[in-house]
Amino acid sequence: MKDDFEPTVVAFLCNWCSYAGADLAGTSRLKYPENVRSIRVMCSGRVDPVFILEALNEGIDGVLVAGCHPGDCHYQSGNYKTNRKMILLKKLLTDFNVDSDRVRFEYISASEGQKFADVVTDFVGTLKELGPSPLK
Amino acid sequence: MESLRGVKMIYELKVEEDAPMTVNNFLKELLTEGEVDAVIAMTETPSGKSAFPTMISHPEKLSTNVFAPLLPVSTGTVVSKVTKVKPPKKTLAVVLRSCELRALTELVKLNQADLENIILIGVDCSGTLSMDTYQGQDQDITEAVLKNESEDDLRTACLNCKDPVPKNADLVIGTFGADTDKNLFLDAKTEKGAEIVSALGMDESEGEEVREKAVQDIRDEKEENRKAFIQERSEIEGPDKLLEFFDTCVNCHNCMKVCPVCYCNECIFESSIFDLEGDKYMKKVEGKGAYKTPTDSLLFQLTRFNHMMLSCVGCGLCEQACPSDIPLMDVITGLADNAQELFEYEPGDDPEEELPLVVYREEEFEDVEER
Ligand code: FES
Repeated sequence: MKDDFEPTVVAFLCNWCSYAGADLAGTSRLKYPENVRSIRVMCSGRVDPVFILEALNEGIDGVLVAGCHPGDCHYQSGNYKTNRKMILLKKLLTDFNVDSDRVRFEYISASEGQKFADVVTDFVGTLKELGPSPLK
Repeated sequence: MESLRGVKMIYELKVEEDAPMTVNNFLKELLTEGEVDAVIAMTETPSGKSAFPTMISHPEKLSTNVFAPLLPVSTGTVVSKVTKVKPPKKTLAVVLRSCELRALTELVKLNQADLENIILIGVDCSGTLSMDTYQGQDQDITEAVLKNESEDDLRTACLNCKDPVPKNADLVIGTFGADTDKNLFLDAKTEKGAEIVSALGMDESEGEEVREKAVQDIRDEKEENRKAFIQERSEIEGPDKLLEFFDTCVNCHNCMKVCPVCYCNECIFESSIFDLEGDKYMKKVEGKGAYKTPTDSLLFQLTRFNHMMLSCVGCGLCEQACPSDIPLMDVITGLADNAQELFEYEPGDDPEEELPLVVYREEEFEDVEER
């Protein structure tokens, strides 16, 4: 059964790095699962945890947030703060029996098309194992 | 606030008629001596059925009962209202319980209160009762709670209080360790507090050691209660039951409105952002198959926790305000402790310590990621 399950993933991608990284993955014709719906944001720091909670509440199986590497954020500290926000959110989800692996925060630069493809592939694999979200 | 931590100046208030009257007279003196221009302190309503933080500037209008065992609203919220736009130029003394002080400290960090010209008078808290219990009492409930005779009636939040002894006040009115028929402690914690006490010419107290021990005992007791409570509740309301826990939420947002640390000036859930066209709802239901309406009550709860967990001072006002009687503290107590431990943050403890989500330190980056 689990093999048939195709998780839906929402990815919030920082304009300055990860979105370009995803673009590069595409133009380089790298293969990655098509389960991802990408949303471009100006900085990973723009991702309010409520976006993630709403996505999960609407039945999305996993949320990926990707931003610039430490030290590279265009707005200095957006990614650092996002990191802390994600830690808190994951803790809350765990407390509610929602596997915290359903939310993932990654650093993907504009040149890391391969990393984007790998992260997405790995994430979709994890979600397939976890099965449909309990919030569905 | 200049802290005189370590410097002990502990004075005595001789109980005249009873404990509330003694503090009332002390506040009166502050007004008549011109030490302060107004006070905010708990005052019973004319019906006797309730008590509210009340702002008073005319000494003859003072009829406070700072020990009234009721928390209809957090005085932290009241101070925020009075000072947020611009703090007063004249001096205002505010009497607060420990959880209200903790909330106020968080509000200052959130830029939603300003303590300029504010004198904080903390008062030891023996706990508060539910609105119903308070209203149903005819005997002197203040005295019963002060003397610890009504423990079974205390609200869940109070039984498991984080710390009933006020922190970050200029002065603390102490009942722990005192025979409240005879005397109360008056503990000067800051320079401001010490100045007031010396202006009024008070007697130093001999009971310092007794008080210290009593304070330690009550802190230990509460901590034990709290730990046992969290343990017990997590066995009953484990993670797998939590989603069902909010089944009965009617989405009234009362918990958000009364929460002293729910910090958004405008709650996103009160906005029209989640209002969609009919077709969108039809599409939503297609995806899920079935929808309980309003659709966002669980989302609201999760988002609210995510916002206030780190600053939760454990006042239990959310639980008190819930029309569906959801025992919120059963869950929030543990959730908040978990989150606060994660960031080693104790809300209301250190005014200088920044809120965990606004700080970032490069060197801790990987370290935090590991957790
Ligand atoms: S600009 Fe990319 S994470 Fe802030």
